[in-house]
Amino acid sequence: MDRAGKIRISLLILIIVVLASVSVFGDRYTKMLFMLIFLYMALGQFWNLLGGYSGLVSLGQQIFIGLGGYTLAVTVLNYNFPIWLGVLTGGIVCLVFALIISKAIFRMSGVYFSIGTWVVAESLAIWFSNWEYVEMGQGLFIKPAKLFSVSDIYYLSMIVGIGSVILVYFLLRSKLGLALMAMRDNPGASEVCGVSVFKNKLYCYLISSFGTGIVAGVLYMNIIFIQPNQAFGIDWTVALVFISIIGGIGTIEGPIIGAVVYVLLQQWLSNFSSASMLVLGIIAILIMLILPRGIMGTIQQKLGFEILSPRRYL
Amino acid sequence: MEEYFQLILNGILLGGLYAAVGVGLSMMFGIVKQVNLAHGDLMILASYLCMVLITHLKFLNLWTAVILVVPIMFAVGFLLQKYIMNRVQGMGMEPPLIVAFGLSIIIQNGLMLIFSPDSQSLETPLAIMSLRVTDMFYIPAIYVIDFLTGIALIIFLHLFFKYSYLGWAIRAASDDENTAQLMGIDTRNIYAWAMGIAISSAAVSGILIGATKNFYPHTGPQYLIIAFGVTIIGGVGSMAGTLLGGLVLGLAQLLGGKIFGPGYQLLSGYIILLALLAVRPQGLLSKAGRAD
Amino acid sequence: MSNETILNIDNIKVYYGDLLAVRDISLSIKRGQIVSIIGANGAGKSTILKTISGLLSPRGGTIKFLGEDITGHKPFKTVAKGISMVPEGRHIFPRLTVRENLLIGAYTPKARHQSEKACKKIFSLFPILEERADQLGTNLSGGEQQMLAIGRALMSDPQLILFDEISLGLSPLIIKDIYQKIKDINNEGITVLLVEQDIKRSLKASEWTYVLQEGRVVLQGKPDSLTEVQIRKAYFGA
Repeated sequence: MDRAGKIRISLLILIIVVLASVSVFGDRYTKMLFMLIFLYMALGQFWNLLGGYSGLVSLGQQIFIGLGGYTLAVTVLNYNFPIWLGVLTGGIVCLVFALIISKAIFRMSGVYFSIGTWVVAESLAIWFSNWEYVEMGQGLFIKPAKLFSVSDIYYLSMIVGIGSVILVYFLLRSKLGLALMAMRDNPGASEVCGVSVFKNKLYCYLISSFGTGIVAGVLYMNIIFIQPNQAFGIDWTVALVFISIIGGIGTIEGPIIGAVVYVLLQQWLSNFSSASMLVLGIIAILIMLILPRGIMGTIQQKLGFEILSPRRYL
Repeated sequence: MEEYFQLILNGILLGGLYAAVGVGLSMMFGIVKQVNLAHGDLMILASYLCMVLITHLKFLNLWTAVILVVPIMFAVGFLLQKYIMNRVQGMGMEPPLIVAFGLSIIIQNGLMLIFSPDSQSLETPLAIMSLRVTDMFYIPAIYVIDFLTGIALIIFLHLFFKYSYLGWAIRAASDDENTAQLMGIDTRNIYAWAMGIAISSAAVSGILIGATKNFYPHTGPQYLIIAFGVTIIGGVGSMAGTLLGGLVLGLAQLLGGKIFGPGYQLLSGYIILLALLAVRPQGLLSKAGRAD
Repeated sequence: MSNETILNIDNIKVYYGDLLAVRDISLSIKRGQIVSIIGANGAGKSTILKTISGLLSPRGGTIKFLGEDITGHKPFKTVAKGISMVPEGRHIFPRLTVRENLLIGAYTPKARHQSEKACKKIFSLFPILEERADQLGTNLSGGEQQMLAIGRALMSDPQLILFDEISLGLSPLIIKDIYQKIKDINNEGITVLLVEQDIKRSLKASEWTYVLQEGRVVLQGKPDSLTEVQIRKAYFGA
């Protein structure tokens, strides 16, 4: 390993130690803030993997948030699964569901894909609202998750948060990542070079769905209550799009910065109740008009460097 | 049997309304190759605007208020395109999508702040009137108005595109932007005009929706999906197709609701839409390839 | 023929992204002339036309039309001033009928008043277009489309018309016919600037020729004063 690599690893370990110590020294509120940042960071990474690297601007990530959450609730309540297994099953259910719908939604491209995924999510919201097995629109109370302490959920969130960054980082450095970036930068030419656009996009979609499902499980361990219109609501994707664009679409650091900004902004704006979403909308438009590459994208462009560069130099 | 006849008739009438909901979206999709994600919200904005005007200006009723609402919404659409959307056009797919998404959030939450999340409706004496078809069944008068207005709107737009200089210019710009410029067309300005017209049509349908059904600050996206469905089923930018799309969705919803239960009304429409998206994204009537 | 300069280009530089396509080109055209620009592929011929019409903006230099600075003006302004362009590849609006294609050519407010009259004139110049008036532009043959593109460009009542690679993909017989029409158009007092791959054809048609190589003017003069050797040298640099 070269020197830069060693520095990077030690820095990562240092960050993990510092973040882990928050759970020991931080108060409840601080822990909650970090927890939210980790979870949104992870969800943002998985949206960005699609929207930023694969050209799949999904407006239906809430499909997997809802499915992950509901699977956790149902397996734990009706089948006495241990929580960890419920979370994992949630990921697998998402993966399978993604595989099934990919047959249809991958025939759409561009904006058709965006709206197609959204319609799937809306359909699920209606379906679950009318499905007796999940108590219809009333929702489910995930009682067993109450046994976990704030610190437990904090560590879990930290693991999925940092884990998602590492996963996406290595994914983008792999052959798949190279193909993705080639596709994004020039779809025609890369297809000629033998990059199967369809297959690579599908892999990305499956990984993103599985990851989102897992994160959703951890998220609902914390929220404890799940209800169809909330779980399958477009608000999730609003948040993820916001996080990715403010941080910088198509950068790994983007969702990290975006999640921090989003969570802090949301805390600050919560004093204004429904005006908070309004302000998010205004900020999203302003960012697009002023810094269309987001914070990280603009820094990269100005300074020409990337902290977590997925590109490999020869 | 009679029951189904009534249902189908209502479905057709609802289809006319849906066609009006979708026509503006379809038009803009054809021209700038972008889906205006705030289309439904702008519609609902028009419903609220109409409500405010009727409440505060006592001399106005629902139908005279249209004369004010439509030009105001035209201006909203025109300025929105000219000063915001045009600036992110041609930057790829995400920026315009996200700007429209942001606008949608602003409208929804702005309406909620001002008017509370409660359901509203536009009051009109027509709402309780109905037309007698046989002794057994009646059609609500407002449904007939919706249908006729929807058809009239589409015929008007068809004639506008066919016979006016502005209509030709819009079609030319949507076919080939550079060449349209060589004809002396300021395409950016044309897009603003087109958006103004599209949002005016959304305003008309918003008022109809408000007179027919309840609306909330968050109803917009539901109609966006319907508008998108109409666009997909009928084929992007096709006026006749829009009507067909409206009818298919209207019938699918009412029949689906009847067969599977009222909770599944919207779902049946969505499933038809998804199936079509997967099988024939260029629309039922279109011969051309997909426009994306 | 008057000696008034209708178009004067002074030292323009044009980039495609980061690529310098035209470097310091100057040229001037007198009213009523037919001027041609020839040169190998990528020499910058079409770039000049696109810059005059305003589809591209130069990063340096000035363009004057009838003494007025039009550097960097958008096409909708240059068209209103009296410059019209027939683009390479014809670019007929596919979803518009032949008649609509023509009428859209008279979009500028000034031309719009006379659009019916102008349309009749085009129909007498190209009778085939009148027969096909209500068909979609894409249903025409290549030659007919080219006529439509020329007719459309004339609808705005231009003083200067730019032809970009007009003979591309057409049969020799049709090319000959179209060049005859260009002569007719010129005889009505419209100045013509044309860019052409077909050297012989454009030398024969024009009164003055510029030869371009790698974004520079390397040779200019009356076509009959240029020898084949000179032109070959300008093309191949040898």
